[in-house]
Amino acid sequence: MAGDEKPSKRTYTRRDFVVGGGGILASGALTACAGAPAEAGEEKTYARSAGYLVYDSRLCSGCQSCMLACSMVHEGEACLSLSRIQVSRAVLTRYPYDIQIAVCRQCPQPLCVMQCPTGACHVSEAFGNVRRIDPDRCIGCQACIRACPHRPHRTVWNPVTGKSAKCDLCADAPWLDGKGGPDGVQACVSVCPMGALRLVGDLPSQADIGGYDVDLGPRPARSPDGAVPEAEP
Amino acid sequence: MATPGFAGKILLVDLTARQTRALDSAPYEAYGGGHGTGTALFWDLCVAPGGWDLRDAFDPRNIVALMTGPLAGTGVAFAGRTSVSGLAPQTWPVNWFGHSNFGGSFATMLKFAGWDGVVVQGRSESPVYIDIIDDRVTIEDAAPLWGLDVWETQEEIWKIESVKAPVRYGSEWQELGGRYTTQRPSIVTIGPAGENRSRIASLIHGGGSGAGQGGFGGVFGSKNLKAVAVVGTGSIRVADPRGVLEARKWFEAAFPMSGQRGPGRDLAAGVSCCTGCNRGCHGRSRIHGADSDSCTELIWAGLPSPPYAPTSTEDMWKATDVVQKLGLNASDLCFRGAASFPSLPGSAIGDICPANTGAGWYVKRLYDMGVIGPGREVDTHPLPMDQYEKIEFAEIFAYAIAHRIGIGDLLADGLVRFAERVGRIGDLDSILRLPAWGYMDHWTMPAVEWAYGNLMDSRDINNHDMQLGPTDLMSCEQYVTLLAAASPPYSNDPFMFDYSWQGEQAAKTGIYSEHKARFVAWHQHYATYYKESALFCDWAMGNYFNPSNPDGRGATPEAEPRFLRAVTGKNQSFVDGIETGRRAWNLKRAIFVLQGRTRETEKFAGYMYRPGASMANFGTRLPVYDGSEWAWVDCRDLYLDDGGVERWKTAFYRIEGWDARTGYPGRGTLEALGLGHAADALEAAGKLGRA
Repeated sequence: MAGDEKPSKRTYTRRDFVVGGGGILASGALTACAGAPAEAGEEKTYARSAGYLVYDSRLCSGCQSCMLACSMVHEGEACLSLSRIQVSRAVLTRYPYDIQIAVCRQCPQPLCVMQCPTGACHVSEAFGNVRRIDPDRCIGCQACIRACPHRPHRTVWNPVTGKSAKCDLCADAPWLDGKGGPDGVQACVSVCPMGALRLVGDLPSQADIGGYDVDLGPRPARSPDGAVPEAEP
Repeated sequence: MATPGFAGKILLVDLTARQTRALDSAPYEAYGGGHGTGTALFWDLCVAPGGWDLRDAFDPRNIVALMTGPLAGTGVAFAGRTSVSGLAPQTWPVNWFGHSNFGGSFATMLKFAGWDGVVVQGRSESPVYIDIIDDRVTIEDAAPLWGLDVWETQEEIWKIESVKAPVRYGSEWQELGGRYTTQRPSIVTIGPAGENRSRIASLIHGGGSGAGQGGFGGVFGSKNLKAVAVVGTGSIRVADPRGVLEARKWFEAAFPMSGQRGPGRDLAAGVSCCTGCNRGCHGRSRIHGADSDSCTELIWAGLPSPPYAPTSTEDMWKATDVVQKLGLNASDLCFRGAASFPSLPGSAIGDICPANTGAGWYVKRLYDMGVIGPGREVDTHPLPMDQYEKIEFAEIFAYAIAHRIGIGDLLADGLVRFAERVGRIGDLDSILRLPAWGYMDHWTMPAVEWAYGNLMDSRDINNHDMQLGPTDLMSCEQYVTLLAAASPPYSNDPFMFDYSWQGEQAAKTGIYSEHKARFVAWHQHYATYYKESALFCDWAMGNYFNPSNPDGRGATPEAEPRFLRAVTGKNQSFVDGIETGRRAWNLKRAIFVLQGRTRETEKFAGYMYRPGASMANFGTRLPVYDGSEWAWVDCRDLYLDDGGVERWKTAFYRIEGWDARTGYPGRGTLEALGLGHAADALEAAGKLGRA
């Protein structure tokens, strides 16, 4: 269920920009570059998703249980490469830059939806306007893979089925215990031992890439060495 | 097709011939994966061909088997470790077949690459590392890596691999043969200690996941093997995906993990976990290194206090980093250890004696006694003994050992061999607390099953799951009844938990009785399968008593089969798993016997039979039955009686189906476990037991 409270946003820095790969293009600019299928001069608006995954990269333990759970409930098997949430660890890098988390942002102007030639990637009214890919309509053109402006791209390619997939907030998760979607449960949120993932109802700030990396709980006041672990460029 | 949970094949690497091949995992599933399968592989690859005495861990014919279990990468928590099996060079006086394991992401990544394990045999003519990208395996030149520490090595391999299919790790999907990943390779490596064939060299993965005991880093070094790197883009099939996730939620709700390190919401530092785990026993937040455990590697350089001032936290971290970077087993090097206590008046131990007498403490002790030092037969060069209390001493100490400089060359072969070299092996009877086979005293006594387990296996067994202690939830009698109920098939024998150690009761129901023998046998079977083969982590399982539950009920024996059933789809009971462990345990026994193990060789170090033998710091209050009732008794004074131990051994051998005179397994026992081939080999060697 999407929470009512709005978690405080973590300050994002130039260092985070470099580390995160620079996916900060404003959605207005993206619309202008999107091309087909919108007619030139027209700006199509999309209903906003009723839910957004936010995370706390400082609370995360890097266990990747979310990735294993995601692939299990969607694909029926454990596979990091098919997970629609990606957590990567640089174990020899200083905290807090050692863990990067990539969640689908359920973009207000979803380029993956805009670029899909068959409508497989669509805004699902049945599931709270979550942006999801219908596997029966996907033809494997990978337009959504190329369209995603974020790095790593949030649309996931399955080389075995020859189709794309993306986070649908567990709207269509055959092995999920319970009801998924923006008004249901998400496997990643349920399984996270640290409480580092949460579903919220309000659109996170799109102005920078830090809108989704938020303060979700008790955090280190300071490192054991005495330093305050603020993000520094 | 492989049973769900298993990848289906094992990678065999022959470094002499520079060849690789795939073995079918299916025939080895009967041994459970992990160390069980590693034992069977050792038999097939090292014992069966014959032609050597199986006693030199540095012989190219030795293997180092990095094996996963069926649970890694499936979403089961605390089940992502990698087992390491082979002849262990640290073990003394014989390099008994041994094992270790390490956490992190390596096991999961290896499974996703399509391998249940990688087994290395032979010796390369030049330094190499093994590179595994899904089913593509190459043996790469490691000359540029030789000499680097464990962290430098991993950074360099990541650079090399990121260039092969250009990617900025974490920010992009890397394309590997038409498949994709955002993950960097998981790497296990040695540092300079392993390169120099130190017998206490560890294998390090990531920031600080380590296989410390056994000296397997030295085995890597003897093979000119620097590292194994793996990245996997595939998947692992599980029989019941919904059931796995349900089991995980059920476990977290039903069995809160109190008393152990868990999700560190209240820690003052970032927490990290092995893949799939929820225990959070590693840390993220230190300046000097990330993903570091908070175990012996964090405290090894702490000085015995008094007479020294407590070692500062910053100095402890420096010491942690140096021992990790060099790839050394911290527990063998301890300056103080986990505890120190005043020994009993008149005891053979002498004055204040640390419970863990590591090389750092021992070197100073011998120096103060005038046994070693400048100008003496054993010089202490390059150690600045007059600066012992400074952290720089510990750094020089570690470097000297890793690089075999001066006295470091003697210490690099492990503490017990150092004592031998300086003519002080008799210290095992007094101040040198190495209970069996040259391994460190851990929390070995007074909970004697740890000590007995060390003796019957071939190392410090790391018995963290058996931590007994008084509780307000129930009486002592109820407590032991609960523990027994958690130990099928011996659920009706609460005397397995009687720690009576003096008088007739010790032999009747206590530590020398068949009850204790039965428990140690059970625990070795449990550990061999559930902890070392299925690879449930020692920090979580077994869980016999859980104080967070009003009835004290622990997760064992319900949780283990539930997880395994959900993953494998096999209707396997808890006792089935005990039998799987017994199978591998008996095969290991056959290997020990072929190596020369006999009843006569299975003896504790002399100090274990003297006052002061127990670690009298914590965990000393144990259940004791006085003949009519149970009570919690402080057993810190517990020490062993030679005759009592021999009585225990007789009972133990009989329970195991081994010849009580020799400790050799009997044919009936082996054949009932499907190990007729082992019985044949023992018979051919004239070592088949009559039991």
